[in-house]
Amino acid sequence: MNLVACSVVENREITPGNFLLTLKVPRAFTRPSPGQFVHLRVSPEVEPLLRRPYSMEGFSERGGIRAVRIYYSVVGRGSKALATQPKGQRLDLIGPLGVGFAPAPRRVPILVAGGRGVAPLLFLSRRLREKKRPYVFLFGARSGRELYGVREIRGGRLHLATDDGSVGYHGSVLTLLKREWEAAGHTPLTAEIFTCGPHGLLHEVAEFAAAHGIRCEASLEGPMACAVGACRGCPVPLRANGGRYPAMCLEGPVMDATIVDWGRLP
Amino acid sequence: MKPALGVRIGSLELRNPVLVASGIIGYGAEYERLVDLGAIGGIVTKTVTRHARAGNPPPRVVETASGMLNSIGIENPGLEGFLEIKVPVLRDLPCAVIVSVEGEDVPEFRELVEGVSGSGVAHAIEVNISCPNVGPHGMRYSTDADMAREVMTAIRPLTSLPLIAKLTPNVTRIADIAVACEACGADAVSLVNTFVGMAVDSVTRKPILGTVLGGLSGPAIKPLALAKVWEVVQAVDIPVVGMGGITHPRDAIEFILAGSTAVQVGTALFANPALPEDCVAALETYLARAGLPSVGDLIGALDVPAGRGTIRAGRSVGGTS
Repeated sequence: MNLVACSVVENREITPGNFLLTLKVPRAFTRPSPGQFVHLRVSPEVEPLLRRPYSMEGFSERGGIRAVRIYYSVVGRGSKALATQPKGQRLDLIGPLGVGFAPAPRRVPILVAGGRGVAPLLFLSRRLREKKRPYVFLFGARSGRELYGVREIRGGRLHLATDDGSVGYHGSVLTLLKREWEAAGHTPLTAEIFTCGPHGLLHEVAEFAAAHGIRCEASLEGPMACAVGACRGCPVPLRANGGRYPAMCLEGPVMDATIVDWGRLP
Repeated sequence: MKPALGVRIGSLELRNPVLVASGIIGYGAEYERLVDLGAIGGIVTKTVTRHARAGNPPPRVVETASGMLNSIGIENPGLEGFLEIKVPVLRDLPCAVIVSVEGEDVPEFRELVEGVSGSGVAHAIEVNISCPNVGPHGMRYSTDADMAREVMTAIRPLTSLPLIAKLTPNVTRIADIAVACEACGADAVSLVNTFVGMAVDSVTRKPILGTVLGGLSGPAIKPLALAKVWEVVQAVDIPVVGMGGITHPRDAIEFILAGSTAVQVGTALFANPALPEDCVAALETYLARAGLPSVGDLIGALDVPAGRGTIRAGRSVGGTS
């Protein structure tokens, strides 16, 4: 983890309100794992005051040039400011931070993405492909045009779902997960789940995993101030609390989904 | 010749007047790779309480206009955890370590001051009698001069370390509390802690913070904080450690001009970890350009219209040059 200068290579609106940001980073930025995040200064101005945490959609290294990709939606002041940053703009970031996904060597990874939560799972799927590991990618979104990055998903089995039925299964990605689990004959010894998306979806996926004894890692999202474990501003409520709130920035953002108390996580 | 940046708070000699505020930098190690601790005066640790605290339910932070509301609830490992886990790390830090403590009652304050004093790592103790996020007890001690007096009187004989009383701005007359602390042996007062604030989500119709109320910090509070510092520096002779919304090195200089012997950087560090060292560099440049030999010449050097107030605080100590 370091504080490094970065510059905007591209900040492109892919679909209305959804952007892909590519940032050039120096060598001091160490190679990240899928699921880790960066704490980004979204503007050279004082406002917005705080940095914003973003999971990485990808990391590339070509000819000694390192770049981080972030897929984000305009949802508040921070992302709105970020969306106005032009090519060449100099910013800085702290990273890579947090704990990423940890696929077990012998289990089939089942990736369950909801909406823009696809970002860290695309990163993970590329790593799996590099290692020639088979995987299953289940991706749900409100509509077909929000199914970002599906053409990138290669080397794995892909199933899509949309709320409006415009592409793939008409309904929730959770149903795809339940079908996949039964139809492919997975067991907790042969497969595990990696998920990211709205917390409502993650809660459902976590309950399914817990009911079947499946290992399940979820990437969480929430406001952070320092992102390095100092301020204790990003507590994750646990089901068996034990008088302890892990900091999302240090012990997450990827955590065992079955220990999180989703009802108390905003 | 380089201007002298050293200042003194009681027996504590700081190499320069720039500190990082409590609750910002944990116990130092968290920010070791991001903040050059060797360049700054010191850090104030996250507040240590007698018993471990899990902290408040989420959400604990929300950004507001030019500010941040927090309701952390002093999540910390408690005195035993502090002594066991944090003290070994603090021992190696290349700057002054001011340990912040908060008790729920006077006996707890006593145990904390004795424990921290005995640990050998603290260069001073900041007595947090002003946290807005710990239920009915915390802030009570600095909203009532009698209660502040009670705490300071109880702990003063227990340590030879400098005691810095941290004050809340959520009172009618902060100077009364500062005077009470001074009278009971405080070596300095630090101010301001956060202003009580609230944020509402009109979509969900819920308060944004899990505890409804929180503490406001950031540039939004700087003018309010300066006014409180201004009130206190006219009322006490002991040094005042000023803070509240320092976001630019210029802000630190403003607090010093207004009578602060030292300053603390808070919320803005989250966005800019280089801010404390930038403040030190800017202060040195400012003094050199003004032809002032020492930071002591800048403390309270505010040019106030006649009859509009006189700064007393820190005049007798000034710089260490």
